[in-house]
Amino acid sequence: MIDSFQFGYRDICKQYRHKPVLTDISFTIGNSDCFIITGENGAGKTTLLRILAGIERPDNASITINQAPAKSWRSCRARLSQSAMYLHQQPYMLSGSVRRNLEYTARLNAAIIDKPAAVDQIMHWAGLELLATQNAVSLSGGQQQRVALARARLRDPQLLLLDEPTANLDTDGRGRTLLMLQAFLDSGTAIVISTHDPDIFQDLQAQALHLEDQTLFNKKAAPSKVSDIASYQKSRGK
Amino acid sequence: MDVLIASTLEAFRLLFSGNAEIWEIIGISFRVSTLAILLAIPPALIIAFVLAYGNFFGRRFLISLFNTFLSIPAVVIGLTLFIVLSRQGPMGDLGLLFTQTAMMMGQFILCLPILIAMAHTSFQAADRRAWETARTLGANRFYAFVTVLYEIRFGLLAAMLAAYGRIISEVGASMMLGGNIAHYTRNIPTAIALETSKGNFAEGIALGVVLLFLAFVLNGLLHHVQGKGSIHP
Repeated sequence: MIDSFQFGYRDICKQYRHKPVLTDISFTIGNSDCFIITGENGAGKTTLLRILAGIERPDNASITINQAPAKSWRSCRARLSQSAMYLHQQPYMLSGSVRRNLEYTARLNAAIIDKPAAVDQIMHWAGLELLATQNAVSLSGGQQQRVALARARLRDPQLLLLDEPTANLDTDGRGRTLLMLQAFLDSGTAIVISTHDPDIFQDLQAQALHLEDQTLFNKKAAPSKVSDIASYQKSRGK
Repeated sequence: MDVLIASTLEAFRLLFSGNAEIWEIIGISFRVSTLAILLAIPPALIIAFVLAYGNFFGRRFLISLFNTFLSIPAVVIGLTLFIVLSRQGPMGDLGLLFTQTAMMMGQFILCLPILIAMAHTSFQAADRRAWETARTLGANRFYAFVTVLYEIRFGLLAAMLAAYGRIISEVGASMMLGGNIAHYTRNIPTAIALETSKGNFAEGIALGVVLLFLAFVLNGLLHHVQGKGSIHP
């Protein structure tokens, strides 16, 4: 289980070439929270996720970690990089096999004592056993997404940020992704997802947010259609 | 034509009979050039990485500068270092002129811009997600740097081979800085120049064959590694 945490982001501002992208965005996130961020193309969803993950520098932002006094984003950057994990829309696969990708991640996590066993366990969790020796770069989009989530599971972040995780996935791939994300939430990881299709994530009990005119709005979730997890499990006869 | 055939046959006889002088020249060439490139690789990779991923004032100017250095003739580097290392020069007291160290310095300066320019191109061509993925998976900056190096290893290997090919075959700087002293600073290119001027074509061809063979081996090696594509760090 993930240790208890709370990140408070305040007044995030970012502009590109004097054009504002994000203006005074604030929100707080803690264990097992799940946010879905929607917005038009170019609204700034990816930029926001990257700022939250400590990858991209905002023009202004202050961060409160576990009720401590607020600090600048810059002074919290190392902590954010350590605690948060950002998954690209098209995950980058390190060259080599699926197993090498997972072993690389396990090697970086000092908390994992028995690394080969952990890699085996995660491969089973993500259903990657049959792909273990395959070149990760040559996998399909859905398989690469599973490898990326398996790496995230080994990394065990407090905050997982996903950029369009279900783009270009078929129904089966989406169902698998949802089940894996639910496992993250169950273990205390907080999740922020940017997407154009929020209905897919209804079963995650996520709080819907909408990014428009550089501002983040609370949004009531649209009524759920057919549950993707339910339909996936039904199709699998579970 | 007869002269060429006779000289070539004599060249192979010299090589395979284990002629001590020929093999000593080959040894000096390899020692000086290998040390020069080994010393140049670490700073070149760091500079190329900073130029590719950094965001600072003067970055574009530095990239243009290193690209300009690519076309500097070896003799100009030789001349400049000669002045610096000569008795009246700022480093004259070190007594490095006409030594293997001076040759190494010249070859270091020659291969540095090649390594930087080609490595910089490889870094820029590399997916920036490689760096971000390594960092987000928990790698510190150094380990993420090593990860990116591994991801672009074929481009870097090509840069190293190109740089090595350039310095082991250059004659201008080696001649000026080493002085072509027998058993000490005489390397393959300076020996070829000398023997050709004396009319000893066989020795020149023998050493030329070594350079050709080296080029063949290096390119074969690169081709093999690229085809295999499964080396691990």
